[in-house]
Amino acid sequence: MRIKSGQDFAAGLLFIAVGVAAFWIGADYPMGTPQRPGTGVLPRILAWCLIGTGALLWLKALLVEGPNLTRWAWRPVIMISLATVAFALLVDRLGLVVAMLVSMTLAALGTPQTRWLEYAVFTLVMVAIGVGMFVYGLRMPIPIWPKDLPGALSWN
Amino acid sequence: MELGGLFANLSLGLSVAMTVQNLFWCLMGAVIGTAVGVLPGVGPTATMALLLPATYFLPPEGALIMLAGIYYGSQYGGSTTAILVNLPGEASSVVTTLDGHQMALQGRAGPALAIAAIGSFFAGTVATLAIAMAAPPLTKLAQQFAPADYFSLMALGLVFAVVLARGSALKAFGMIFLGMLLGLVGTDVNTGNTRFTFDISDLFDGLGFVPLVMGIFGIAEIMHNLADPQRRDLATAKISGLFPTMADIKRSIAPILRGTALGGLLGILPGGGAVLASFSAYTVEKKLSATPEKFGTGMIEGVAAPESANNAAAQTSFIPMLTLGIPSNAVMAMMIGGMMIHGIIPGPQVMEQRPGLFWGMIVSMWLGNLMLVVLNLPLIGIWVRMLLVPYRLLAIAILFFCCIGVYSLNNSANEVLIIALFGVIGYLLMKLDCEPAPLLLGFLLGPMMEVYMRRAMLLSRGDPWVFLQRPLSLTFLAIAVLLMVFILLPNIRRARETAFQE
Amino acid sequence: MRRRVFLGLAGATLAMGFSTHALAQTEAWPQRTVKLLLPYAPGGATDAIGRPWADKLSQAFGQQFVVENRGGASGMIGTEAAAKSAPDGYTFLLTPNAPLAVLPSLRKTPYDPVKSFDAVGRVGDVINGFVIHPSVGVKTFNEMVEYAKKNPGKLTYGSSGNGTSTHLRLEMLKYKTGIDILHIPYRGGADTLNDVLPGTVHMMNEPVSLAHAKAGKLILLNVNAQVRHPDFPDVPTLTELGITGADVPIWFSIFAPAGTPKDIIAKLNAKMIEIAKTDDMKAKMIAVNAVVPLQSPEDMAKHLLADIKANAELIKAANITIE
Repeated sequence: MRIKSGQDFAAGLLFIAVGVAAFWIGADYPMGTPQRPGTGVLPRILAWCLIGTGALLWLKALLVEGPNLTRWAWRPVIMISLATVAFALLVDRLGLVVAMLVSMTLAALGTPQTRWLEYAVFTLVMVAIGVGMFVYGLRMPIPIWPKDLPGALSWN
Repeated sequence: MELGGLFANLSLGLSVAMTVQNLFWCLMGAVIGTAVGVLPGVGPTATMALLLPATYFLPPEGALIMLAGIYYGSQYGGSTTAILVNLPGEASSVVTTLDGHQMALQGRAGPALAIAAIGSFFAGTVATLAIAMAAPPLTKLAQQFAPADYFSLMALGLVFAVVLARGSALKAFGMIFLGMLLGLVGTDVNTGNTRFTFDISDLFDGLGFVPLVMGIFGIAEIMHNLADPQRRDLATAKISGLFPTMADIKRSIAPILRGTALGGLLGILPGGGAVLASFSAYTVEKKLSATPEKFGTGMIEGVAAPESANNAAAQTSFIPMLTLGIPSNAVMAMMIGGMMIHGIIPGPQVMEQRPGLFWGMIVSMWLGNLMLVVLNLPLIGIWVRMLLVPYRLLAIAILFFCCIGVYSLNNSANEVLIIALFGVIGYLLMKLDCEPAPLLLGFLLGPMMEVYMRRAMLLSRGDPWVFLQRPLSLTFLAIAVLLMVFILLPNIRRARETAFQE
Repeated sequence: MRRRVFLGLAGATLAMGFSTHALAQTEAWPQRTVKLLLPYAPGGATDAIGRPWADKLSQAFGQQFVVENRGGASGMIGTEAAAKSAPDGYTFLLTPNAPLAVLPSLRKTPYDPVKSFDAVGRVGDVINGFVIHPSVGVKTFNEMVEYAKKNPGKLTYGSSGNGTSTHLRLEMLKYKTGIDILHIPYRGGADTLNDVLPGTVHMMNEPVSLAHAKAGKLILLNVNAQVRHPDFPDVPTLTELGITGADVPIWFSIFAPAGTPKDIIAKLNAKMIEIAKTDDMKAKMIAVNAVVPLQSPEDMAKHLLADIKANAELIKAANITIE
């Protein structure tokens, strides 16, 4: 049997995988009684529904023509993920400015058409806007510079 | 309420709301609210929490007027990002992305934004009148809802989620189940057990809606578009006019009316009706339309109805708070907090003991809506210009706003990690042609459905027939079943045809 | 020899310098903004009681006392954050007793209620009691007990969650009177009120219900406290009703991360007692249904221990589990 739709097959695979994982993780959750349904009831129902839907999608993938999977754009995916993670890890420890600079640079590295001079100007403007709007404008307790941590709030 | 009494109350309200001070606070609230709504991630709840201590120094009327302004201002602003960059600022703007963003990609961002603002203003006006005239009877109506009724309403909502989907119904179901599963992550309210948390205390209260949306809509979209930014630039470069055409306006009238009615009614339910407002309105329009298959490609009805519905619901959700002191959502809880800071105990006596405050707030809500329309319409030109920024730079800006928006919610860097994870997952889902909207709706409705089902079963001492015995519940379930049949019939027929061909 | 004397003198001077410096620090405390961590989302009961205090403390000390809401996991997240904060007198925890006195007996918490914190002062004790919907037909506490005995399991009671103080109050009531009432958990007081007002659920025990009791929509049966509520002079306390040791109090207080300098704690406590005695604060607290007991940090620490013990016993006796 030929897979007539790679996309449907992959989607089905995703649903079945998640369904099985949910079933396995939730296997120990108490089920309660029919009167007082317990914690594990809905997860199990959903796990079965997901597995069922996945199976139907597999069926469809084998019977009906459909699109196949397209290429995965690795560079943006990795760089943007890194940029986000970098922001998360840096903002508490080294302040907003450093986090922004690092994360935006990583994002720019992930963009195939970055023009570096344009990027530099843009970033500086964004950092100014970011700090101005969020810390001074909205008075959010976000540390700006590394030496501000821990404890002291930047605008006092 | 007789007209004479209504006039007297409204003039009292007018006299309170139209003082220079209170007008100023109203404007401040509206402006801040719009800004906050436009910024992805930063929501009215976080902003109100930040500004709450500042309002301590204001008189109670001014404080509450400003806080209210922030709330419905953010509803106006949230649709802006939904339309422009496919990034819903609030739960209520998720549905606006479906057709709104498509319109933007066709160069029609201006009309989309304009109709959203106009529809919202109309809805706000009608809702304010409704509050003024019928707050007590509407509250009584809301009180008829028991847990069983809420459950059936949410079930109906889930069926709506399938109708919303553009493509394969099977994948839509899968996304709904996936969303519901994600919604279960966290502590089980009824028992206190934790599910799927892997002992990470940040997950004890579940995945946040905002990080989820930012990841699946925002980050994933950036990843997808960055693969070929030129294509995206070309699409948004053509701007055909800032204003809606006569045809647009004519097509929007009925959806706005329907959306307002639906949203206004759903908003009074303290148990969470407002969430359903925008996508119920969208579903109704899709079902009533002569060309349902075009929904999702830029139909203006798909913007007019949900936007009116969510603004109407936002206004009427003040009713349970003002008449009974019951908050329908986190924002109302904040308003109650604001009242308590000023020594006003929210509850049934507020209307009698402080009529100036009560009616002043109601009138200023309408004034706020007026200010917002006046503010937002000219801004459309600026917003639309923003689309001309080359995507390679716009993407970086969006990324940054997503990160800081999510971070600022709870001062938690961990939530930013969540958006990275969901960004990748969202990208995967895009590759598999699975739409995110049903997932988000499942995420919102699933846990609520579970809570109400268990509560209903507890109250009925384990009798499942209670769902069919209560008239409201029965009605909702009946509509849900009928709708399911309508959706599935053509699919089953098609499947049988294909099977026979093989 | 001279060098050693010199070094010794230098060392002693330095030491003195440091200790006077340290003394000067606590004398001068607070020198910058103080953070009060509230382990619940904004807009709740903790805010209603905590924010007026933050305001008064800011006025009294001339430095900003800022409330920071860090909600989640029934108060565990904010409490954990406070436990891990630097004990320098610039971060405190303002909390109801539940995260410290109840939660650790139900689940593993990332802090130790006694070792992670030093008690500072009392902020307010909530006075409220069981309310019942008029449709049930009973008007007093004893009538309610009689009704429940004749109709076991018929009455329903909404709490703000499994394992919360309001849940414990129900269990205590059942335990002491032997009646059977069905427990329905909700997500907070407002959620409960939503179903109690139309009579879908009969009873609850939350501060939010008092406004409605005043308006006559609900009937207040008793108060869980040592004294009667001034707005309800006819409603008896549990003790007056003959049910002793059954309060399950909900009390708010300020704690400091363990190791905070004792003088800072003493200074804060003294100021808190001063504020609590003012008429303005008394009025503000009564408006949110609270009274403020005056207690020293040592007495408060003992109070906490007693509370933990009482709650733990109740949890064991009534077999309350987070399943």
